[in-house]
Amino acid sequence: MSPIETALAILAIGLVTYATRIGGILIMARIPVSPRIEAFLRYLSGSVLVAVVVPPVIATGPAAWLAVAATLAAMLKTRHALLSLVVGMATAAAYRALA
Amino acid sequence: MADDRARADDRQVVAEAAVCLTGAGMLRGAKDMLFALVSVVLFAMAFGIAARGAGLEGWAAVLMSGMVFAGASQFAALELMTSPVPWLPLLMVVFAVNARHILMGAALYPWFGRLPFVQRLLPAALMTDINWAQAIQAYDRGERDLGHLVGSGLLLWVTWIAGTAAGAALVDTVAMDLDRLGMDLIFLLFFVCMLTGLRRGRSDDIAWAVAGGTALLAWQVLPAHWHVLAGALAGGVAGLLHHERRRTKGSGP
Repeated sequence: MSPIETALAILAIGLVTYATRIGGILIMARIPVSPRIEAFLRYLSGSVLVAVVVPPVIATGPAAWLAVAATLAAMLKTRHALLSLVVGMATAAAYRALA
Repeated sequence: MADDRARADDRQVVAEAAVCLTGAGMLRGAKDMLFALVSVVLFAMAFGIAARGAGLEGWAAVLMSGMVFAGASQFAALELMTSPVPWLPLLMVVFAVNARHILMGAALYPWFGRLPFVQRLLPAALMTDINWAQAIQAYDRGERDLGHLVGSGLLLWVTWIAGTAAGAALVDTVAMDLDRLGMDLIFLLFFVCMLTGLRRGRSDDIAWAVAGGTALLAWQVLPAHWHVLAGALAGGVAGLLHHERRRTKGSGP
């Protein structure tokens, strides 16, 4: 890729990404927020993250399954995100070192 | 009469304090984000390394982190940064991965919507998964200063750019196997932590189970990356149906 091509491609994906960030706010400005829409959005927030996480975790295999289980357990026990992350990554690293 | 006016004044004060965008709020947002910085640096380094691996120059990796500021889509775009540029696939993939931002922005609308339009532009640019989840939790706690999102976003942005640069520079000096260290899972484990914080009750479990199941199915049958949108919408609808059914039964909130 030439530097110009690279810069143009980055500019384009930057613009598309900004459009997604401002898009939800622009749309909501035109739709009145009913209690039903509010309930929908409340469940949407978590569902987005779940939809991002589940397929790649399943596909990655036992290392990811164990890491997620370890992170979840640590998070429920300690409520400390960074610690839980380290526990999860260490679990994956240990599994991969042994398997 | 005077009482009424006093009460109306009170209400106005409350309304003015209700939604704003201040430096103090930015500071609170930045402080709320400190816990995440180490993992953000690691994730940003992973991106810098991956970008160099995909043939991008260091400056391009840093430019992408500065302009796009959305990790998952940046990773996804790397595969399509080729010459000639496959414009349509590239833009579609980035849109599909980032379409969740539309839903996230919508979820923050009760907050954004009470600010003048111009003041919505910058906070929107700085909204990412991590500080959005923090902002949702802060809003539930009673935070009404949108500076929270700006402060946390700015701190993340600077960290994200610096980490990318460090990762790209590292490639030229050290060779290592990041997967062996579990680095490939950072992003996913981070989301797991955020979900634990977002869960408010058993009704979430139903919505999230539907979201996960649908995403998994969509992942098998739809083109790459559309599973996020499919799963998220299915989870939202499932949650709404559950909510409506419970309301018509009239048993509690």
